[in-house]
Amino acid sequence: MTLENEKTDAGGKSLWAGAWHALKGSWLAMASLGIILVFAVTAVYGEIVYWRYNIINTNPPEVLVPVQKVLARVLMAGNVKGQIPPYQRQDLDFQYKRPGWSCVKAFDGSVKTRFFLMGTDGLGRDVFQRIVQGVRIAFQVGIITSLIAIPIAILFGCLAGYFGGWVDDIIVWLYSTVASMPALLFILSISMVVGKGLTGVYLGIGLTTWVHLCRLIRGEVLKHKELAYVKAARVMGLGDSRIIFRHILPNIVHIIIINFSLRFPAAIETEVIMSFLGIGVQNEPSWGIMISNARFRLWYGVWWELVFTTLAIFLIVLAFNLLGDALRDALDPRLRKQQEEV
Amino acid sequence: MIPTVLGVILVTFVLFNVAGGDPAMLKLGKQATAQRLEEYDVQRGYDKPLICGMWGKTRAYRSDFRFSAAPWGNIPAVVYTNNPNRLILPAGREYSVPLSFELKPNTDYRWELVCRDGGWSEPDSARFVITSGTTVVKVVSLNADLWKKRFVEFRTPAEPGDLKFSFHVAVAPIEVKSLALYKRAGGFFDSQLFFFLGQIVRFDFGISAETNQKVSIMILGGLVPSLILTVPIFFIGLVVQVLLALVCAYYRNRFIDRFFVVISVILMSVPYLVWIIGGQYVFAYRLHMFPVWGFESLKYVILPVLVGVFSGIGGGLRFYRTVILDEVYKDYVRTAFSKGVSKRGVMLKHVLKNAMIPILTSVVMAIPFLYTGSLLLETFFGIPGLGNLSVNAILSSDFDVVRAAVLVGAVIYVIANLVTDLCYAFVDPRVKLR
Repeated sequence: MTLENEKTDAGGKSLWAGAWHALKGSWLAMASLGIILVFAVTAVYGEIVYWRYNIINTNPPEVLVPVQKVLARVLMAGNVKGQIPPYQRQDLDFQYKRPGWSCVKAFDGSVKTRFFLMGTDGLGRDVFQRIVQGVRIAFQVGIITSLIAIPIAILFGCLAGYFGGWVDDIIVWLYSTVASMPALLFILSISMVVGKGLTGVYLGIGLTTWVHLCRLIRGEVLKHKELAYVKAARVMGLGDSRIIFRHILPNIVHIIIINFSLRFPAAIETEVIMSFLGIGVQNEPSWGIMISNARFRLWYGVWWELVFTTLAIFLIVLAFNLLGDALRDALDPRLRKQQEEV
Repeated sequence: MIPTVLGVILVTFVLFNVAGGDPAMLKLGKQATAQRLEEYDVQRGYDKPLICGMWGKTRAYRSDFRFSAAPWGNIPAVVYTNNPNRLILPAGREYSVPLSFELKPNTDYRWELVCRDGGWSEPDSARFVITSGTTVVKVVSLNADLWKKRFVEFRTPAEPGDLKFSFHVAVAPIEVKSLALYKRAGGFFDSQLFFFLGQIVRFDFGISAETNQKVSIMILGGLVPSLILTVPIFFIGLVVQVLLALVCAYYRNRFIDRFFVVISVILMSVPYLVWIIGGQYVFAYRLHMFPVWGFESLKYVILPVLVGVFSGIGGGLRFYRTVILDEVYKDYVRTAFSKGVSKRGVMLKHVLKNAMIPILTSVVMAIPFLYTGSLLLETFFGIPGLGNLSVNAILSSDFDVVRAAVLVGAVIYVIANLVTDLCYAFVDPRVKLR
């Protein structure tokens, strides 16, 4: 409480401390952060459920077999061995049940009562469980596509901005080429080539969405290259890679963070569209597949699957958009300065 | 512009010809005969060498001993073993190479084989023999201590049905590490890349494997419905977004502005699919204001256009608002105000004119979105445009159509980019065309 405060008071607030302070001050930002946290916890829960039922059936490479065994023990996978995971469990007695308690007379005359938070779909599967799995897929897509796209963007952006010359020419050519490809169609055709499934989704989105960030980083590195601290580092005889990654990169990392918070919802939406079209996730409950299934049922009054699924997408995308805005206001000093001038 | 077009062509080529793996297999399925796969390949130039070279692949004989013994699996006495993965042909027999189908007449072919015999057999004890009926065409000795690569070139006769390729192993077993058959291409540059370039130049992308129509005609036919849909979305959307943004900038930091900012974030977060499904459900199905599905008259286009416009408002409004607000605090605006120009006059005449440059840029950035935005709209509302075409093609792995659609979309984007650069010169007197 004491030391840190004294330090910041003496030297002014660091960018991060200031940003956190600004975020804390905005209830909208905190609310969206809360929503994201809830979704993240749900994703982890979905992951646990998924692996609890599936870890025994996977055949990992030899090295990972002990890990598999430990995980199976931790998740108590043995207790559910041979059972169908809850999000796939069908019960034709409970077709299209509204959210809440439902009571049916089964074929053999017995009365069954079950509770469905968000109703059931045409095969009597619990919509809530499927939406949870959708959260899991959405987070996977958001994170893994970022892990593909952001390093590409950083590497190319830094190289182009720092070295200039022919390196710059080639990288600019490369990203203007990728930017010229018709976005969604390009993503879809990449995943068609890779093969339908999550890998196709990851590669399709990851390999096409680095352009915007790359452009931003290149521009920023170009600016920083001329600043005194970089020149000083160069005079001190530091290597290029050290200057780029240890000196310039920390100064532009806020751009990457803002970009991450905006790319995440975009990736989720793209995945939903891909799965909806039948090119994305296969044999797993993804939001796209759920919307695709629920779409025509809406016309017969079965609203819950569609409404809850779209609500989930809407909430997570909205939360990320709002957080991205708040982060931009908090982290981008240029914007902050502009606002002060006004 | 030209480097970008070349880049686009290159990326498309790499995606569909290099990374694409085996399009014939994807399209026709694993059950298809080698003959049909070969026909598919020949029609689309996939049998040619990739970039340049004399020898292209053929499906008459394909094997990869690194992974399996196919197609040698059922041939008696042949042993498949590992480390390195190879075939062993024991001594004292003849083994004829299993071909999937007859070779083409009067064509040059070439075998590439890597084999060894362990080094203790007599010279010429193992041979690779090509016979046509009863006459021997070619004999190659296979004796070598170490792995050795050999090329056996031959020309097929007018009736290649009698052609037979066999290993004659006399004294000691022979080990085969790889065996491959190649067909001679028409020339050094008779390759997939140049075949593709030729297709682009002639605007002839071959015949779709799915519909048996010419791909170029399918593309041209899809262009008109697509444009009927996207051009109104584009212009109506642009006008609505810029007008709303001007209103926001006019009332900046007051209630109307705040309201629109919040609304735009909310609109932005509604998934695109929901716009479409909801619009279709409410306006077409519930209220019967528009037809649900089809493309017969102008009435069928109104709802998709409305959906397109609405889905774009959120992002567009936000963007143009920042663009216009960037201008609002500049010196010339203050000057205009101090000269006594009314607020409305400043907004419409001074600010809008200066904001035109970033607006123009963003308009171009929106063009690829139009292509993809219409992709979903077309699928949902049954409009037979490019989007519908390409989604169906992707679902049925119809490489020709997807490739052409991607390429055409990219080239349209590049051209649009060029047009904007020209427009800059009109909007901004500082930009001069050289």
